[in-house]
Amino acid sequence: MSGAGQGSRWALAPAPGLALVLCLLLGGCLDNGVRPLMGLNLQLAHSAVNRDPALSSDWLAVIGGREGREQVRLVRLSQGGPVPLPGLNRPDARPVGVAVDQWGERLALIRELEGRSELVLYRRSLQSLQLIPIEPAGVPHRLALSADGRVLAVEVGRGGLSQVDLLELP
Amino acid sequence: MRSPGPCLLVPFWLGPSFLGLLLLVQACSLPWGIRRQPSPRGSLGLGAESRQEPGLSGDGHLLASLMLRSGRSTVVLQDRRSGQVLPLPLLRGQQPHSSPSLSWNGRYLALLVWRGGRRQVVINDRATNRLLPLPLRGDRDPQRLSLAPDGRHLAVQLVDGGQSRVEVFDLGEWLEPDPVPGSLLQGPPSGSRS
Repeated sequence: MSGAGQGSRWALAPAPGLALVLCLLLGGCLDNGVRPLMGLNLQLAHSAVNRDPALSSDWLAVIGGREGREQVRLVRLSQGGPVPLPGLNRPDARPVGVAVDQWGERLALIRELEGRSELVLYRRSLQSLQLIPIEPAGVPHRLALSADGRVLAVEVGRGGLSQVDLLELP
Repeated sequence: MRSPGPCLLVPFWLGPSFLGLLLLVQACSLPWGIRRQPSPRGSLGLGAESRQEPGLSGDGHLLASLMLRSGRSTVVLQDRRSGQVLPLPLLRGQQPHSSPSLSWNGRYLALLVWRGGRRQVVINDRATNRLLPLPLRGDRDPQRLSLAPDGRHLAVQLVDGGQSRVEVFDLGEWLEPDPVPGSLLQGPPSGSRS
């Protein structure tokens, strides 16, 4: 992982604004030896929006894209590029939050679809998407997935109160 | 904290056997054998208090979440199963906290705190009892964090010039790794893809 982001396989889009590049370069010089992954960060900067990152070992899941056309993206740090997520993103859905396990196999996602918020679990090897019902009913807002992929924690709004639901996954 | 399961809806006089049956039926109704676990009950009277922004340790044993204390958002670290609250003395007086993120066994807790009149990224090393600030150059305002389970990388969502973006930092020269057990290198619970 030490070479993460250095050998990006993403094709570079036309150069971003000079101010953005300078900002990223200046932002990389931290006093305590913390080093930004310049290649990866420049790639991410090509999207109009990137938000709600979820890191797990070699994998970074983010919600990014243009305003109103955001999608979940999964990036392998050691390769510096995204991997396909067939069947996960829908043009009529707005992703709210995402989490990934350490193998990049399971992604948990909260998305808004047809005026409702729903929680789904995606298995990349199977390209399968499964709805996880919220019981008692509530609105999912944020989530976390343990790196081993076994536990899912979901912040759910119910009757004006936010609660954390815990789910154990097989 | 209230349990998310249906047990709150069950009259006490129906007894534990009925409750067990109900929980079993509910568990079976979820896909893939997913089981709901009652949220941890701590010793601080968490029953009716709001909880937000959950973060799990990589092994799933610890849960960090935010609750309001004296009107200020404060991170609470708990054993997920027992509900035991673990102390975080270094974070006192730096509320509001937000976006807690844990390493594999919870040695490192990365979060946003309020320091010097602005939001700042800090990492609480619970093994050495240190609070490590991660300064960001310029006027960039951190919004959310995610710490890799081994503590080697940190992803930060920043607002810069009104635009939200994510940057990833290599902490390998700054933090000792929080080692991930070798057995987990075998692969995911079911199904894998390289």
